[in-house]
Amino acid sequence: MIEFKSVVKRFGDRTILKGVSFEAKQGEILFILGTSGTGKSVLLKNIVGLLKPTSGEIWIDGEEVSQFTENEYFRIRKKCGMVFQHPALFDSLTVFENVAYGIRKHRPETTEEEIEARVKKCLSLVHLHGIENKKPAEISYGMQKRVSLARTVAVDPTMLLFDEPTTGLDPVTTNAINQLIFDLSRELKTTSLVVSHDMHCALDIADRIMVLDKGEVIEEGTPEDLKNSEQPLVKDFLMEIV
Amino acid sequence: MLVSLNNIIADIGGGVIFFKQIVWQGLTKPCRLQEITDQTWKVTIQSMSTTAMAGFFVGGISTIQFTMQVKQFGALGYLGGLATSGTIREVGPLLIAFMLSGKVGAYTSAELGTMKVTEQIDAIRCLGANPMQELILPRFLGIISSSFFLLVAGLLMSVLGGLLMGIFFAGINVHEYLRHIPTIVAGGSVLSGLFKCFVFAVVLATICTYKGYSASGGAKGVGKAVVNTAVATMVGIVVADWLTSVIGDSVTMVYLGM
Repeated sequence: MIEFKSVVKRFGDRTILKGVSFEAKQGEILFILGTSGTGKSVLLKNIVGLLKPTSGEIWIDGEEVSQFTENEYFRIRKKCGMVFQHPALFDSLTVFENVAYGIRKHRPETTEEEIEARVKKCLSLVHLHGIENKKPAEISYGMQKRVSLARTVAVDPTMLLFDEPTTGLDPVTTNAINQLIFDLSRELKTTSLVVSHDMHCALDIADRIMVLDKGEVIEEGTPEDLKNSEQPLVKDFLMEIV
Repeated sequence: MLVSLNNIIADIGGGVIFFKQIVWQGLTKPCRLQEITDQTWKVTIQSMSTTAMAGFFVGGISTIQFTMQVKQFGALGYLGGLATSGTIREVGPLLIAFMLSGKVGAYTSAELGTMKVTEQIDAIRCLGANPMQELILPRFLGIISSSFFLLVAGLLMSVLGGLLMGIFFAGINVHEYLRHIPTIVAGGSVLSGLFKCFVFAVVLATICTYKGYSASGGAKGVGKAVVNTAVATMVGIVVADWLTSVIGDSVTMVYLGM
């Protein structure tokens, strides 16, 4: 479970998150919608300690983590897998080595045979086969995104954080990735936070949707609740998909 | 004016803190030896041909310049020793540092900057690794150790270049050129050259890794980091040269009791 309590994040004199509070329950898919620059990615990066909040509390599975050191975050990052906006694959490593990277670091006791089996399983979860020996530059952008997803689930996280997973993809690949997010979240029973500006996808696969505007939560509820929202920004998002 | 001065001071401060972090990382959780040797090999191979070529011509230039001076005093026999001493003490380390700055410094900065803006460094942290240990330390140590190999190669080529110029330009033979090298090039010259080489490599490695690691703002940010690396390393190396010369001279004076 992930919980934010009045989280504020400032960069110099700019306040990006203005006292954000919300809760993501065990096993649910929570979409965080908002226009560009509203602090969605900053919010996700605060969960895994890539950024530290200026004030407020972040609770993960009953632990307050906002003041954790880099070493203490190691444990949290094992539980929270993050899929970045860019595929963020390591150019010099093969697809196999990319997917195995997290296993080797988070679970050093794993044998080579177990790693091989785990990598194959994770790649098949994202419907990729026979590309283990290719370098990231040799596969398409959509495939890179899926490898990135496989790399994240390879360490067996209980929470999945997606930072705009479909940005820059064509509609067909976008649908495939969205379906993958849904299937993986259900199959692995993970709590999933998806940062996006794709209302269509959010209405399709989210259990709950939270809308962020200028660093504040302006709406939160089920897809049905959102459809009846009176918030102008939510209406604008809904207008786009009509 | 005040703003840019403030930025320069903040930049120097950031670099010093980053250097401290690298040293601390090296002392507490060092990287694997294999990673350092890989980086050393990569940097050495990348820069070997250009360094050797530059060394050859610098040796030749030194000999031409010294020929004009020593001829006036009828001391052509000292040509090889003087030209080699000058190259080992000053020109060699400086040349290697500039070569590495242009090639390896810019490359490292661009590589790390790209990894930073495409979130690869964030991914490394999320996947349970420490980027200082995995990325920065091997590159930092690789640049420093390769600079010694390149220094040796550059110096050997400069002696060869100087020797050829001595024969064809000054008209002296091989034996005459090499005769006074052991007497003029003393241990102090070699130590001075090695010390300078080490200091320049530390300055270069710190600046290029720091600039790359702190890049932000997409492709434009990477470009800016590379340009800043080129400028900062050149200035840093020249300042370090001045400092090491002052320190070296002071130590020599104390040693000689002057």
